[in-house]
Amino acid sequence: MSSASQEWLAPGTTVPGLLACGLRLPDATCLSYSFDEMYPREHWEQILQQLAEAVALLAGQGLAPRRLTWTFEQGQIFLIPRADGALLAMVTQPNTEAAENVEQLAEEFFSLNPGN
Amino acid sequence: MNAPTKQYQILFVDDDPDFLAMIQDFFDTLGEKIWQIHCATSADQALELLKARNLDLVVTDVNMPMLDGIQFLHILNRSYPDLKKAVITANATEEKRSACLAEGAELFIEKPRSPEGLKSIFIMLEELITWTPQEGFQGLLRRVGLQDVIQMECLGRTSSILEIHNLQLRGRIYIEDGRIIHAQAGDLAGEAAFYKLLALASGEFQLQPFEPPSKRTIEGQWEFLLMEAARVHDETTAAAAAAGVVPPRGPAPTVESSMAVPDLRPRVEETLICSGNGDPLYVWQCPDRYARTALLQDVAQRAAFFCQLMPLGNFDRLEIQIAGSRVVAQAGADRMVFVRVSSPTEKSTT
Repeated sequence: MSSASQEWLAPGTTVPGLLACGLRLPDATCLSYSFDEMYPREHWEQILQQLAEAVALLAGQGLAPRRLTWTFEQGQIFLIPRADGALLAMVTQPNTEAAENVEQLAEEFFSLNPGN
Repeated sequence: MNAPTKQYQILFVDDDPDFLAMIQDFFDTLGEKIWQIHCATSADQALELLKARNLDLVVTDVNMPMLDGIQFLHILNRSYPDLKKAVITANATEEKRSACLAEGAELFIEKPRSPEGLKSIFIMLEELITWTPQEGFQGLLRRVGLQDVIQMECLGRTSSILEIHNLQLRGRIYIEDGRIIHAQAGDLAGEAAFYKLLALASGEFQLQPFEPPSKRTIEGQWEFLLMEAARVHDETTAAAAAAGVVPPRGPAPTVESSMAVPDLRPRVEETLICSGNGDPLYVWQCPDRYARTALLQDVAQRAAFFCQLMPLGNFDRLEIQIAGSRVVAQAGADRMVFVRVSSPTEKSTT
């Protein structure tokens, strides 16, 4: 995991309503953060793995996603894949600042060079 | 002169001919010529009889060779959904009871061991056969949203009026033969009224008998209308949050202007609605129904897995943004929905 990815992910993502977030790079390495003890990192990394599999499954059906939003009663999981196979995922409380900042985070993610 | 009494046609299915003979003798006597008893020793034979006769009630055993009673009920439920069904079995277990009731049986009874037991069964079956479901909408709906009720009405191709109100607003949605044909909310009419009603944060609704509206203002497909209502609500909430105001619960102003440019409007390109088991209920323009069903089942499994790991609450939907389209996938225990809508105005984000 590059230091740029770590620097970008950690400080910029602690916004109200963000419960956990993570990056999964094309080599399957993960960088994940949990901001709520009910959303432990180990569980979040399992979910990241499942999300990566879901992206592959969707692509196999001609539905290569630009964005996935899993909506639950008490949370939303956002997944933003990049063309190189890297994935940004976030779980947020609904209708919070974090949920509404997804677009901005996605833009930054797309401009990030994982090799830095 | 008395009106002729209706004669009920009842079919008993059991691989034990002695039991059938006993039933025939006993129920012929108790039924006093009002019950006409038919017997079949296999599900195949029963299905042949069902084709030939208009039956009121089928009473089946569970343990039968070839096609057992539960499979038989499954077929009956799909082919004859209005037919009343009961089960009589010598080996009554809770597992079988649950399976039979899930497959549409109204009664699950243990085989009697005495004439008194047969009389009790006769009374129960008579109660079932003479019971007439009441027309209209009854009962309480808990944790069921307005969208769910609209979906049920549209899927059932029924006609009704949904009256919706809260302290600020009162409105109506008219559904005719499963098509949403008109909506009004305050001064609004048409799709704008529909979206406004669907965006209400709280309130009450009631289903009323259908009466034709004074005008018809909506022509779109209900799947699209529900999706568009969800999109309008999301956009309104996001726009309000960006402006730093409390999110209003109403249609975004851009909706009406976008409706003035029909060519740019999204349209439904693919729809699949199936039962929780994956049985198709409605398929439209699906390139591969089986693959889509498998996808919905996969979504349901993953969502359930996520819920095990994190306190997310019930799964509502998965939205998939793809190039030029948007997909909404819902995967509930009783129903799964896949709708793909074109997004001709979508900007590239990658």
